[in-house]
Amino acid sequence: MILMQQNFNNLQFLVGTQNILEELKTVPALPIFAPRMTEFFSAFSNVILKDRRARNFAHVTAYAYWIRRASLEREKNMRNDFIDSRLGRGVAFHIAPSNVPLAFAMSLTVAAMAGNASCVRLSSREFAEVEIICDAMNELLDTGFKDLKNYFLLVRYPHDERITEFFSELCDVRIIWGGDNTINTIRQIPLLPRSVEFTFADRHSVALIQSEKYLESNAQDVAKKFYADTYDMDQNACSSPRAVIWTGNATDEAREKFWASLEKIVHADYEMQPIQAVDKFSAACMLGMKNNGVKLVSTDNFVTRVEVDALKSSCMDFKPGGGCFIEYIAKDWSEIIPLLNKQCQTVAVLGINLQDFRKWVISKGLRGVDRIVPFGETTALAFMWDGFDLINGMSRYIEV
Amino acid sequence: MLEDLKSWFSINPYSLKAKEKEELLKARLLSLTEHHRKKCSEYANFLRLIDFDNKKISTAADIPFFPVRLFKEYELLSMDRSEVFKVMTSSGTTGQKVSKIFLDKATAMLQQQVMLRLLSSFLGSKRLPMLVIDSPQVIKDRKLFSARGATVIGLSFTARETIYALNDDMSLNMDNVNYFCEKYTGQRSLIFGFTFIVWQHLYKELLKRNIKLNLPEAFLMTGGGWKKLTSESVTRQVFKSKFNETCGIRHFLDHYGMVEQTGCSYFECGHGHLHVSIYSDMFIRDYKNFSLKKNGEAGIIQLVSALPQSYPGHSLLTEDEGIILGEDDCPCGRKGKYFEILGRLKSAELRGCSDTYATKF
Repeated sequence: MILMQQNFNNLQFLVGTQNILEELKTVPALPIFAPRMTEFFSAFSNVILKDRRARNFAHVTAYAYWIRRASLEREKNMRNDFIDSRLGRGVAFHIAPSNVPLAFAMSLTVAAMAGNASCVRLSSREFAEVEIICDAMNELLDTGFKDLKNYFLLVRYPHDERITEFFSELCDVRIIWGGDNTINTIRQIPLLPRSVEFTFADRHSVALIQSEKYLESNAQDVAKKFYADTYDMDQNACSSPRAVIWTGNATDEAREKFWASLEKIVHADYEMQPIQAVDKFSAACMLGMKNNGVKLVSTDNFVTRVEVDALKSSCMDFKPGGGCFIEYIAKDWSEIIPLLNKQCQTVAVLGINLQDFRKWVISKGLRGVDRIVPFGETTALAFMWDGFDLINGMSRYIEV
Repeated sequence: MLEDLKSWFSINPYSLKAKEKEELLKARLLSLTEHHRKKCSEYANFLRLIDFDNKKISTAADIPFFPVRLFKEYELLSMDRSEVFKVMTSSGTTGQKVSKIFLDKATAMLQQQVMLRLLSSFLGSKRLPMLVIDSPQVIKDRKLFSARGATVIGLSFTARETIYALNDDMSLNMDNVNYFCEKYTGQRSLIFGFTFIVWQHLYKELLKRNIKLNLPEAFLMTGGGWKKLTSESVTRQVFKSKFNETCGIRHFLDHYGMVEQTGCSYFECGHGHLHVSIYSDMFIRDYKNFSLKKNGEAGIIQLVSALPQSYPGHSLLTEDEGIILGEDDCPCGRKGKYFEILGRLKSAELRGCSDTYATKF
């Protein structure tokens, strides 16, 4: 391929070199959960955890725990039947989002455990988290894991369609993070006929609370978990609940306790910027101006709460982030269906059995809901994402 | 509606002390709130959203406000569409959403009258010749007024003669400038333009051509903010001294205002203070809970205006930050609040998945 010899002078290598870029196409694919990869990631975990800087970033340490040996072995064991029959597709090209620093690391890990070499386009926005990960990776690839050097290429480049075209023509799997606009733009650039693509589009998420069960739980503990689900990512991750739905017969008491406990943590820990107060109030007003059954019930601007008297999919159109919640009291689950559309990714539940809720979702044939998780786990890293089994999707099954 | 305001026109707009003004303004704002509730269904919904109760209003500051941004999202009218006399838009850059403000004849007239009343307090009541630092193009599209065009038209109604200093391509029309200077040097005159345009297309051009003008009696009236200039390290002081050097200008009249409340502009007195008239008021709000800040404390600016009848814009939360410096005691003698603008609130950089950067690959 002629393009192979091309030198892009605005391509910045954070991990890997021009040589590795040129070799990428011929790197042998690996079986899924290749032992050598597991060794690499478990060493990677240790290096990250030893880095003092990592302690300031809960998401970095969470990532390091996710890739430790025991965790990877657990994932592998779930796929024991296919360990000998699945091989990586080849090269995965990841386009990382500009505002979730660790999404690229998860993406890269999944692709590697599925047996692929990776080329990651990192966002031009610089994060300390990204630096920690790249430093650790370089340290290992330069010492004990030189044999895996060809599997990891992390680059940054300014908007340049030619480079994106180059990688898109080279890859067997393309993974696009970063929302609808990015996906639509990059989809203009074709893939090879055999290549597959995973897109992580704009989604919304919902919290569902059974009021009596809530009152039996530790309010402070629940508030902490919910804070991690929302404010930790400025309530701007796809998995951050933006609607809180109450069921059961103790909703008045439960709501009062829940929001008061959350407010306490938000006041203490969340650094709200003045414009966010305006953003959240604007969103509340926009929803309220077009619907007449809407009430603003917040006590201040740290936790903005808008109570609605009916759920429509348009309730989720307003996403200022930073702690703005639609609230609704439901008599039964069927009332929430308008929110559980294609856009819906995660339902975080409290006091509700995960399997029961999944059974119900399946029985209704809903187009949305890819994940049902307990409170506090919406941001958990996983080999399944947005309803895709990524290990299967990024590898081939060799039939005999 | 207009009847409410009749008596106001016999009062000097900067003559009322806090207490007298409060009574007048509160009554008018309450009546506007009721009017918009009846005429604009979105506004009625907004009042329901915040559980509004007019019995709980004890001061003008209690009148509910909503974010000015909503005029960019929704078309808000308190009249029948057939009564629309003109639509004003904010001057956003390409790709940005613009505010659309719908005026009936009465509101448009009111804005015009009030702006001129306020201006005459600074310029005197004589009609002045005006040099507009803009191209004649700025007023051409009459159906869709921009804030720039609206101000120019408003001013030109009272001007003795209006001359445009720029050509359609924004280059300097030296013939026009010379004509104006020769005819009016030594006389009181008005030079008007947006701060950045005046700097870019007048000052820098004159400097390049090494031309000096002599307009010691002229008032240089500017507006539109200082963001672009401060980013080029041009402070108000630098601006003034450069215009003094190149054009001999001694009188400066900066102003603050927004298309959503046209008419109620805030002009700068000789002491460098922006002044609030009886037709409007400013409140500074704490971002944490929108409570009122004291004079001297910085916060988000809320503006109320007695003028908007055809659209629900009589009480708005802006995205600007400001500080009230004092009330009723400016050495220039004008009563009412005077203040300083600190600039736009910084936009939020959030974490999360929705893409903010990735527009082009």
